[in-house]
Amino acid sequence: MVSTTPKQNRTAELAEQTFRRLLAWLDQGANSNGQSYLAIRERLLGYFDRKNCVQADELADETLNRVARRLEEEGGNIETEMPAKYCYIVARFVFMEYLRAKEREIVALDDIGRQANATSPEDRDRKERLLECLDRCSAKLEASQRELIFGYYSGEQRVKIENRRSLAQTLKITVNALSIRACRIRDRLEHCVRECASGE
Amino acid sequence: MSNSTDQNQVITEYLLGSLPEGESERLDELGVTSQEFAESISASEKDLIDAYVQGELSGAMLAQFESHYLASPIRRERVEFAEAFQVFARTHRALEDSPTRGQADLDRKRKRGWLSTLSIFSEQYPALLRGLALAAIIVIVAGVFVLRQNARLREQMSLEQAHRDELQQREIELQKQLDQLRAGHTAAERELALLREERLRIEEKLSKSGQLPASEAAIVSFILTPQLRGVGQAQSVSIPVNTARVTMRLTLEPNDYQTFTVALLDQSNHQELWHSGKLKAGSRGDDRSLNVSFSALLMKTQSYALQVSGISTNGQAEVLSDYPFKVVKY
Repeated sequence: MVSTTPKQNRTAELAEQTFRRLLAWLDQGANSNGQSYLAIRERLLGYFDRKNCVQADELADETLNRVARRLEEEGGNIETEMPAKYCYIVARFVFMEYLRAKEREIVALDDIGRQANATSPEDRDRKERLLECLDRCSAKLEASQRELIFGYYSGEQRVKIENRRSLAQTLKITVNALSIRACRIRDRLEHCVRECASGE
Repeated sequence: MSNSTDQNQVITEYLLGSLPEGESERLDELGVTSQEFAESISASEKDLIDAYVQGELSGAMLAQFESHYLASPIRRERVEFAEAFQVFARTHRALEDSPTRGQADLDRKRKRGWLSTLSIFSEQYPALLRGLALAAIIVIVAGVFVLRQNARLREQMSLEQAHRDELQQREIELQKQLDQLRAGHTAAERELALLREERLRIEEKLSKSGQLPASEAAIVSFILTPQLRGVGQAQSVSIPVNTARVTMRLTLEPNDYQTFTVALLDQSNHQELWHSGKLKAGSRGDDRSLNVSFSALLMKTQSYALQVSGISTNGQAEVLSDYPFKVVKY
């Protein structure tokens, strides 16, 4: 059921025409240059992640593959309220099949505690590596972006809230818009650090 | 602001797996169908992870975070990243805030990489460097903890001081109000006593001249003398049932008081039924007397006493005489 090949290969599994149909259907008449596809894939990934699925990445791809195959069967269009809603319905089926096929891999609390408290030389090395990568990746950000995330995520509790309010005033945007902006920058930074730390 | 806070709260419960199933499924769907909501989830998730890393979670929330949220390896990686990010952010802020280090210094450091400055040292003494780096992290974390505690204490002290000032101000205001009420009360009592005296004088005059209107004949007047020691015989007064008010003249025993109060007591249980305001004695030759008037409804067929107290100049009351009497209603 769920493929275990890397996502690039799985995407390539879809015939080019099928994939183009999927992109066009997700765009609903507009041309987003694949952005709609990437956005829905990211949201599906989040869905499976929040469901504690170990292979969230693969399940998101499996969902989109099924949608694409159905589109092919239906001649390029599926009657639905909106594409994202249909993707969600398919994702629910994929999730239920996943549950049936495999017990969720829940790490026992004791193990987590041990992992959290672990101070092995390997852990220390990994943490140092993360800090080095953070240094490199944050240097790649624009100065304004660096200031924004360090300002946004600094302080605790009330101080943090005040920092954010003041930052939003300085940038003349709402706190909500600021939070989304900071969140996107942090996502990029985290992605960069993960790649750096894994030696990619 | 409040809606946003509520939404954050709901999303946090959702991320911790604490929402009821139906509500959780609704958010599942929104998280896939709405880009905006998906971004809100992502932002709240980062705040939740940071709160965990900074030790702000406690109780059920902490337990739920560790049992539910940390069950996923990807999420544990996020927590690991957040820990490193917090340390790095604090170091970044500290370097920026340092007056001896300018922007140029910071940029130079960034170009070289913050650990790369120690690369030669690291090649020769890698274990020592790791120890130093760890110690630096511990010092930073401890420093932040102490600063946070100080800030909390300062905030608490300032709140308590503000509360104390507020209470003090309220006390002053209440004292003022109380003084005003007391002044008003004394003036009202004085006026009431004068009015009563005046009314009794008029009623007495009308009664003597036989001009008391029929409708006001429901007032009955008596003269009472103080009870002599050893003599228990109380005066008997007859009051028609339709009497509205009873007026009593109390002849006073010789005393030095100028002001008096009178209380009507139920002899059976010594309960005070009525109390006059401050009264001045009227005089006829050497005899002084007090006039009092109260509602006849207070009385039924039984024994009562009017108790006269003298009020000294400093406001203290001394019981002078009792005027027992027996009422017969007919």
